[in-house]
Amino acid sequence: MSLVVGNGLTHWFGRELALEGVDLVIDTGEHMAVLGENGAGKTTLLRILATMLKPTSGQLQIAGLDAFKERRRLRHYLGYAAHATGLYPALTAVENLEFFCDLQEASRTRVDESLDVVGLASVAKRRAGELSRGMQQRLALARAILHEPRLLILDEPDASLGDDAADLLTRLMRDRTVVMATHDHALANRLCQRTLVLRHGRSHGTASRLRVVK
Amino acid sequence: MNPVRVALAVARKDLRSEWRTREMVPALAQFIVLALLIGNFGFQIDGHNAPTIAPGILWLALVFAGLVAFGRTFAAEREQASLEAMLMTPASPVAIFAGKALAASLLLVICEAVLLPALTIFFGTELNGDLIFAVLLATIGMAALGVMFAALVARVRARELLLPLLTLPLWIPFVVAGGQAVQSAMGLPGNYQEAIGLLIDFDILFVVLTSLAARFVLDE
Repeated sequence: MSLVVGNGLTHWFGRELALEGVDLVIDTGEHMAVLGENGAGKTTLLRILATMLKPTSGQLQIAGLDAFKERRRLRHYLGYAAHATGLYPALTAVENLEFFCDLQEASRTRVDESLDVVGLASVAKRRAGELSRGMQQRLALARAILHEPRLLILDEPDASLGDDAADLLTRLMRDRTVVMATHDHALANRLCQRTLVLRHGRSHGTASRLRVVK
Repeated sequence: MNPVRVALAVARKDLRSEWRTREMVPALAQFIVLALLIGNFGFQIDGHNAPTIAPGILWLALVFAGLVAFGRTFAAEREQASLEAMLMTPASPVAIFAGKALAASLLLVICEAVLLPALTIFFGTELNGDLIFAVLLATIGMAALGVMFAALVARVRARELLLPLLTLPLWIPFVVAGGQAVQSAMGLPGNYQEAIGLLIDFDILFVVLTSLAARFVLDE
């Protein structure tokens, strides 16, 4: 069953075309990687899928709901980790997650579980501003799965994660539908069943694992 | 989703961040004391003219401290890219706005706790309940407007310039009515009840208007 159906997703930033007529269908439980050079439109597409950005034209349905008419309701089902971590540096790792539990109506028991998944249980009481960039990235990923979203949207999650990025992301993506933007073709092949290649905002088609066209 | 719970969580988060970093309150308190000191030296203050001059100095210090306090509410969120994470949740933008306004108001109230006794020390004016009540009432409406415009300008580069240009004209009713109330509370002629009534009206008007506008301002 399809969880995400996008038709003709197009977005202009002023006079600049960021995304042009992208169609995509993502099935429940599927992992899709979005590949492309810098400026290809990956982040724009992910922000549209996360309902943070309304496309200039095109339709998007998530879980059978219109993504923009029902976006507040849909956000219970969406987890999004942007390229910037968006953490509160003066709050500890636990306090950052507890705050988002309150906003997501998630149980606070999820805080410890999420920290365990990303391997940050040992630094739970440290302030986010004192953590390394990689640890901050892990904390942002923990925040994205706090409310156990059905669709997880990750913008270059591997950027600062280090050597065990693939293992961590495998744990994170288990039993979830995932759309992930990355520059790392090998990682995309390892973690995702399908890839979508963007160039200058246009889709150059999807490919199944190990058939990514450079 | 319970909007009160969200607003309280946002306010608690902001106050806890400020308590840990102490970025704003000490600087604002210092600014307020300096403003009163300059006012004290700039005017020939004596027992007769102090109640006439002191309200003006009070509102000047409060308005400029408020601009700094409210200006930081969303600027920090934008710089940290944390506003996007907050808006990505199902929480209502109005509840998030209310939480930010509540935290900013409380920070300004802390500054007022420095301002009002300092005013008494520098100008020898009476500190009474009527005066405190008038200032607190004005703080509510000023916070609602200040935080809304802070959210609006947070995404532009010249926000430090734009915030006073947008906010100050709409704060004038609070300065006028609040000024009258404070003068009356200090023993000058004037109708205290009428000024307080006006402050309550302005509070209701601007809290309602900014709450309605908040979802459009905060939504992408």
